[in-house]
Amino acid sequence: MPAHLEIIGARKAFRTPEGGTMTALDGISLKLASAEFLTLLGPSGCGKTTLLRTISGFETLDDGDIVIDGVAVTQMPAHKRPVNTVFQRYALFNHMSVARNVGYALEIAGKSKREITARVGEMLELVGLSGMGKRSVSQLSGGQQQRVALARALAGKPKLLLLDEPLSALDKNLRQKMQQELKSIQRELGIGFVFVTHDQEEALTMSDRIAVLAHGRIQQIDAPSVLYQRPANLFTADFLGESNLLPVTLDGMSAHLADGQSFEVARPSGKATLLLRPEALAVTPPAGPSLSFSGRITQTYYSGKDHQIALDTGQLGPLTALIRTGGTPPEIGATVTLHAPAHGLHLIDETAA
Amino acid sequence: MSLARRKFLQLLGLLGGPTLFLLVFFFGPLLIMVVYSFLTPGLYGGVDWIFSHLNYGRILGWADTRYEKFDPVFLSIFGRSLRLAALTVITSLLISYPAAFWISRMTPGRRDFAIFLVTLPFFVSLIVRLFAWVLILRPTGFLNQGLMGVGLTAQPIEFLYTDFAVILGMTYVFIPFMFLPLYGSIEKLDIAQIEASADLGATRFQTFRKVVLPATMPGIIGGAIITFIPALGNFIVPSVLGGAKVLMIGNLIEQQFLSARNWPFGSALAMLVMTAVLVLLVVQLRLARHGEH
Repeated sequence: MPAHLEIIGARKAFRTPEGGTMTALDGISLKLASAEFLTLLGPSGCGKTTLLRTISGFETLDDGDIVIDGVAVTQMPAHKRPVNTVFQRYALFNHMSVARNVGYALEIAGKSKREITARVGEMLELVGLSGMGKRSVSQLSGGQQQRVALARALAGKPKLLLLDEPLSALDKNLRQKMQQELKSIQRELGIGFVFVTHDQEEALTMSDRIAVLAHGRIQQIDAPSVLYQRPANLFTADFLGESNLLPVTLDGMSAHLADGQSFEVARPSGKATLLLRPEALAVTPPAGPSLSFSGRITQTYYSGKDHQIALDTGQLGPLTALIRTGGTPPEIGATVTLHAPAHGLHLIDETAA
Repeated sequence: MSLARRKFLQLLGLLGGPTLFLLVFFFGPLLIMVVYSFLTPGLYGGVDWIFSHLNYGRILGWADTRYEKFDPVFLSIFGRSLRLAALTVITSLLISYPAAFWISRMTPGRRDFAIFLVTLPFFVSLIVRLFAWVLILRPTGFLNQGLMGVGLTAQPIEFLYTDFAVILGMTYVFIPFMFLPLYGSIEKLDIAQIEASADLGATRFQTFRKVVLPATMPGIIGGAIITFIPALGNFIVPSVLGGAKVLMIGNLIEQQFLSARNWPFGSALAMLVMTAVLVLLVVQLRLARHGEH
């Protein structure tokens, strides 16, 4: 099956007000299967929004191609592209009713009144706003405006929906609810979603695949679990979730930590970095071979279901761990030994940028 | 003293003065004008306290006495004033709209400077600026010399003392009045709405018609009204650039008060202008209310 969306070697640079140039996209290539939920994740300024805007047609590429359903749209103006966007601050038309907002694409396409009314009703039902068509946009809450923006973007049956940090303005509970709804709407419609966010939790919960962007390049593009457990490079490891990164020396058969502990790993000799997620560390030692880290607790944060503690191990530097709360809460200044199983550990090669 | 009573006295103390001031100095003169417009002109200016409806009759058609006769010229001058004021509104709108759009998209520093430039003419006397236009437009002025210099015309063109000169002058004078409210509504327009419209398939023209124009309509209406009202009653521009040929209602009123010394008739003419403006405002309010629903 041909890729739904294909981006080939996309490059884009902006001129800065100071007269220099800023490379927003530095050779990005990716493919999106139809009905796939892809998230572009990265810190601000990484190029994720620029990439989205080149797909929608608001920015033109300096170099490279964008192909949707086998048709190159690189030179196509925004209004002719078969994609629609949900904007960050919704960009609803304030002077129009909810229904006219939702039906705008159809009105522009010259559809009949009956057809528009039917489709608008369908869309409002999909986003849970049935019967609100006559309201003015300004009478709606933030969450409702978000839904109108979604319905408006979907009404014209785009081949691809682009979402530019659409949930960032909502409070946490509403955001989580919308995340689930977006996901189920995407499954129901079976069209591709390209979702831009800087919120990693959001990216992990919603996406089929996540493309981690930094400095205008894709650092890694993978399923959320792969990205989290087996990051390809230090940037992804560090950016996604909390991580303890410990340098190790490889001798071909095992890896050695700076404090002398070692574990078996079949890798060519050299240097690498061991990724230890905070939740991999536990107070009780696991069955089988394990690594252990002793140190003084320097900070504790209580999050409800567990304690996050900062540990000063001395030789290995600071470590972060998540400890299930059950017994006595950890105290600052106390000495504690934490353990991690010594198998299935993820190593990041030094060469990976 | 009860709390309500004390609050009332506080309010009275705060608002009483300004209210009284407005009543005396704003409505007072207006009232005098209304009363004068129904009196008989005195022989040497001023008024005789004898009721007369003939001031209006001279304008609107029923006066037919020896001294007070109906003359259609008054209505035709009023008609011309309406026409020139309307054309002034249209030309200032056509100039201000793209300018406001352009300026609203500038970087903040340049934007402030551009707005300063728009309001700059306010700092120079209106009369001086209008006489500068006389220098430009007169037969031996810059414009005609330039046109003859490049051979576009052999004879000087009569720019001065035409409708054209008056519209040009009034547009020049009133552009800031049109620009500022327009700018207010155009600056508020979210550029993302324009992108959203394009994203949903609209061409630039469709976006303008369905999104940009309706969203900036309050500014257009506001600018049109505060341009139209002073343009309608203006007498300085037509007297400098229109001369005796392009008389507007403002000139006529001025003449009645200063040269003809017919205060009642001048008052009646002023009432006519005020009625036209009030009708316009009512229509605008109705339209605005209609637009909300």
